[in-house]
Amino acid sequence: MLIKLLKAERMKLRRSPVWLAFIIMPIVPALLGTANYVYQRAILTKEWLSLWTQHTLFTDYFFLPIMLGIYCAYLARLEHAVGNLNKLFSLPVKRTSIFFAKLITAASMLLLSEIWICVLFVLSGYIAGLTSPPWLSIAQWCIFGTLGGMVIVALQLIISMNIKSFALPVAIAFAGGLSGLAGLAKNLGHIWIYSLLSYGMNANAPQELEKSGYPQFVIVCVVYIILFTSVGAVITAKKDV
Amino acid sequence: MIKLLKCEFMKTRRRYVLLSALAVTAVMLCWIYPDNYKEDFLRMAWMGSLYELPLVNSIFMPLLSVIVASRLCDIEHKGNMLRQLAVSQERGRIYDAKLIYGLMIMTVCVLISWAMTIAFGYHADFGGAVPIKLYILYLLFTLTPTAAVYIFQHTASLCFRNQAVAFFSGVIGTFFGVCSMFLPQLSTLRSLFIWSCYGALDFVGLFGWSKENRYKFAHFEVMGIDWKAFAILVLICIALYIAGREFFKRKEL
Repeated sequence: MLIKLLKAERMKLRRSPVWLAFIIMPIVPALLGTANYVYQRAILTKEWLSLWTQHTLFTDYFFLPIMLGIYCAYLARLEHAVGNLNKLFSLPVKRTSIFFAKLITAASMLLLSEIWICVLFVLSGYIAGLTSPPWLSIAQWCIFGTLGGMVIVALQLIISMNIKSFALPVAIAFAGGLSGLAGLAKNLGHIWIYSLLSYGMNANAPQELEKSGYPQFVIVCVVYIILFTSVGAVITAKKDV
Repeated sequence: MIKLLKCEFMKTRRRYVLLSALAVTAVMLCWIYPDNYKEDFLRMAWMGSLYELPLVNSIFMPLLSVIVASRLCDIEHKGNMLRQLAVSQERGRIYDAKLIYGLMIMTVCVLISWAMTIAFGYHADFGGAVPIKLYILYLLFTLTPTAAVYIFQHTASLCFRNQAVAFFSGVIGTFFGVCSMFLPQLSTLRSLFIWSCYGALDFVGLFGWSKENRYKFAHFEVMGIDWKAFAILVLICIALYIAGREFFKRKEL
């Protein structure tokens, strides 16, 4: 059933290339961040790590949360428009599966953009004249970034499914991104929902994810994901259309 | 036109567009003003604010434009109202009325953030007198890029039913603008791209800052004002308006 719903989600998005934005957006910091790194090489001395901060600093603090907010709002808008939600709820599928399908669709877009960010990062490093990329660190940043981002996706999806406006959930994601930055500054990056993305991706945060903090980070993210997914699924199941 | 503006006001009365715009402005103000300034910075904080605010504006103002424009235009898309409106009014006038209404909201937000900056300066006891001429110039250099970005967003939100298009293009543009703030070397590119004009029109420079001493031996200076970039921006504004209006007039509704 879930597979069929996922296919249906893919069909709904087929003629609407919103995924293009996730491909285009990381190119901007890849170009400008690399240019800045090359210009400021005297100050940015940590090679790959310095380049990583140039690529991910603003991406993780502001723009990826907003992009995820827009994507979730779009997935929900498809149903809010012209009474689609009524039609969807009248189909012989579990209502909770509808929420799971949307969550998986948004999370897979997050994973793809994380991989794309990493690919661009390695390419930019080679172009900037760096050698031997830190593959293990890159894989860690990508995996933990996805995990932290999934928490935001789950929460944004609940918000978007329950607010009919398109702009309001995005504004919440924007405010959330800002609160994430404040959370990192106040050393709450390891528990505050909107800080987990940049904390996991090690994006030049004032509070950095140390090796010893990995298990705790994973536990926090998994607990949040389970909590928000359950809440979202229950709300969708009980929703009165 | 007054009737159309009144109509816009009536349509948005229960949607709290101005209120949500003011809420975003309030978040911005809370975010930019810390509860305690270091004394070294405080002695030159009037100029320091002029140096720092364009970066904040380059993040907040375009995103605020995206939200306001989308909320105003989405009303018509949702109810499939554009077709009905186009029967009773000339399309160009509909475009103008919505644009003026949105620009009024944006201007209120910019003016409030500007006034609050000065009020906060007095409250936090910034050193010396307020350089009012520079602050008026800063206001002009905030309003003009905001207007350009808003016209773009207004056209995108009005012409594309799928609001994700307007949002994604706005966010990617904002992203480019923010990143370009750190690349003053690319001055031509910055002045041609509406989202990066906040940086292109930034006229205060920081000198003598170091990681060890921070602001102890630092000072801010007024650099050359890039009137050429301002003129280009005004031309872009006019071009965006004409192109957007024509595009909306010819669009199949």
